[in-house]
Amino acid sequence: MKHFTKLTMAATLLLGTAGFATAEGHSVTLETGQEVNMVLLPKFLGILVFDQANEGAQEAHAELENPGELLFIGPTPENSTAGQIEIMTTAATQGQGAVMISNNAGDQIVPSALAAQEAGTRVVTWDSPIPSGEGEDVFIAQVDFGSIGVIMADMAFSILGGEGQMAVLSATPDASNQNAWIAAMQVALEDEKYANIELVDVVYGDDQAEVSYNRALALVDQYPDLGVIMSPTTVGIQAAAKAMQDEGLCEQVKVSGLGLPSEMLSYTLNGCAPEFALWDFRDLGYLTYFTAYGLASGQLTGDIGETFSAGRMGDYTIEEDPGRPGTKRILMGPFTVYTAENVEAAAN
Amino acid sequence: MKTVFARLQSWEGFLLCALILIILVNSSLSPQFMTVSNQVNLFQLSIEKIIVALAMTFIIINAEIDLSVGSMMGLSACAFGWMFQQGMPSGAAILICLIIGAMGGALNGWFIAKVGLPSLVVTLATLIGYRGLARVLVEDRGINDFPEWFDALGQKGLLGPIPFANIAFVVLFIILYIVLQRTGFGRKTYVIGTNREMADFAGIDTARHKLILFTGAGLIAAFAGLLYAARVGAVRGDVALGFELDIITIVLLGGVSIFGGTGSLVGTLLAVMIVLNLRNGMALLNITGHIQTGVIGLLLIGSVVAPRLNLGKLLRRQTGPNMTKGKT
Repeated sequence: MKHFTKLTMAATLLLGTAGFATAEGHSVTLETGQEVNMVLLPKFLGILVFDQANEGAQEAHAELENPGELLFIGPTPENSTAGQIEIMTTAATQGQGAVMISNNAGDQIVPSALAAQEAGTRVVTWDSPIPSGEGEDVFIAQVDFGSIGVIMADMAFSILGGEGQMAVLSATPDASNQNAWIAAMQVALEDEKYANIELVDVVYGDDQAEVSYNRALALVDQYPDLGVIMSPTTVGIQAAAKAMQDEGLCEQVKVSGLGLPSEMLSYTLNGCAPEFALWDFRDLGYLTYFTAYGLASGQLTGDIGETFSAGRMGDYTIEEDPGRPGTKRILMGPFTVYTAENVEAAAN
Repeated sequence: MKTVFARLQSWEGFLLCALILIILVNSSLSPQFMTVSNQVNLFQLSIEKIIVALAMTFIIINAEIDLSVGSMMGLSACAFGWMFQQGMPSGAAILICLIIGAMGGALNGWFIAKVGLPSLVVTLATLIGYRGLARVLVEDRGINDFPEWFDALGQKGLLGPIPFANIAFVVLFIILYIVLQRTGFGRKTYVIGTNREMADFAGIDTARHKLILFTGAGLIAAFAGLLYAARVGAVRGDVALGFELDIITIVLLGGVSIFGGTGSLVGTLLAVMIVLNLRNGMALLNITGHIQTGVIGLLLIGSVVAPRLNLGKLLRRQTGPNMTKGKT
């Protein structure tokens, strides 16, 4: 109880001082050297992009000279939901300054996140938000998901030279992210610019390399005039590119979509997947850390309209999340389109 | 009258010593461990699993297994969410969920007891089947915004800081302890588990007994599923996915033999305490993920192997009250 009172007092004090720091229309530069312990909590461990996010967060941790501890802990894949709830609950018990979570528990995380906030722990989501926004201070959105449709349509346009057949190789039929992105692309394709691009089929590789590989080859058999396979999943795009390369089909059918530079490097250089897009998870971890550090050290209030400087990435502003009315987000930025020009630098 | 030393030489005594050790280590390594809120959280985080572990103890002592409990928890939670979304009063929805649980359990029991199929096969099938139903009902979208009293029941303290689910666990433990250790029904559970044919010859209606056990397990799993929905305030098709393995792990660690006829609820309770305290202690020390899973896994291997080694001669596992020796 004594502990709690102290925390409340500290929080009140911090909120008080933060009021001075945020003058209207003015970008806050975060003071370095504040001691806050923070937890970076991925959906689960053992996934490359989450490790990259951790690298970005560690970079920011060093840059901001935080004498506190930055922990990268997460559950195992088969225990993701319960594990995330457990870590969130424990973080509140430990009195962590902030938890940065790529939420995989849907709204099931809400009670534990609210309890964490009550205990004085800031909850910052990244990569995947809390759907209802309850228990969440702010969401760091990697990209504007509305723009993803246009990006994919544009890559198809450029690869096909404005004319030809395209097929989509997605993850599972009920993957909500991918379904939304494909729907967005279909809307984008209605624009006159893409009138000569025909979307012939959408197939599913279940986000498994072997299934995706076989589906990609089946597409080529089924549609002899197919020009590009668009795969909005990192598993699918890599499997499709490998299938085209193995069968010597790269001259005929190109692969594009959302992929990881490190996994796509060889296919981009040999022309099988000349263009693909993604966001940089290191940047995402870096920006997330800056935000969480600012909030937990009381230098940011987390109110809409607040602008702060996130080190090498420049200024960012907290705004309302258009996808989830009543909640707050920081939009990291546009997609990065990778080609033979820039893929090598990003792959390392 | 057994001496204290003789009592400690049982499997339960061994578990008790292990538990005390874990608690001592935890409290010396983490200042937050012994706080009231952490102790409540420690139970809360796994409360649904440990409630179902009580029912699973009966099933395994009876020389059966129920792999479908996790799916039934999911089905119950999802059915509640779905009915709530359709505008049904939550009281009625809760009642229907409990009926679904009992019926699902009875279906397992019918195939096992009356048709004579192995419980491993039947409940593996319903593990998939009940999960499928849950996913059909809710799909991938989450359902939340349950009535405030329902969420509060799962998340707030009812008796001081102690939430409803923890009280339910204690009450259920006492009732089931009396049933298993002090009644004819409990004795029959051991006898059938030791040797079903012998029990048949002795005139015990073993089929009816098994039907009751599986119906009860389904009912308790459905109840636990509702508790889960209340605790996390939202449901999704994957609620309680894989929980059956954690539940069976706890029961086996508690000294219940997978071959039936041996074990006790006190053993299960001690195993519950060990697993929860170990998990919590590791979490407070920021040991999560694969290492945590690995440690719990090693513990299970140890608990299965230990009785087979010389240690097994020292540590006797408890058998039914009126029986001389377990078959191991």
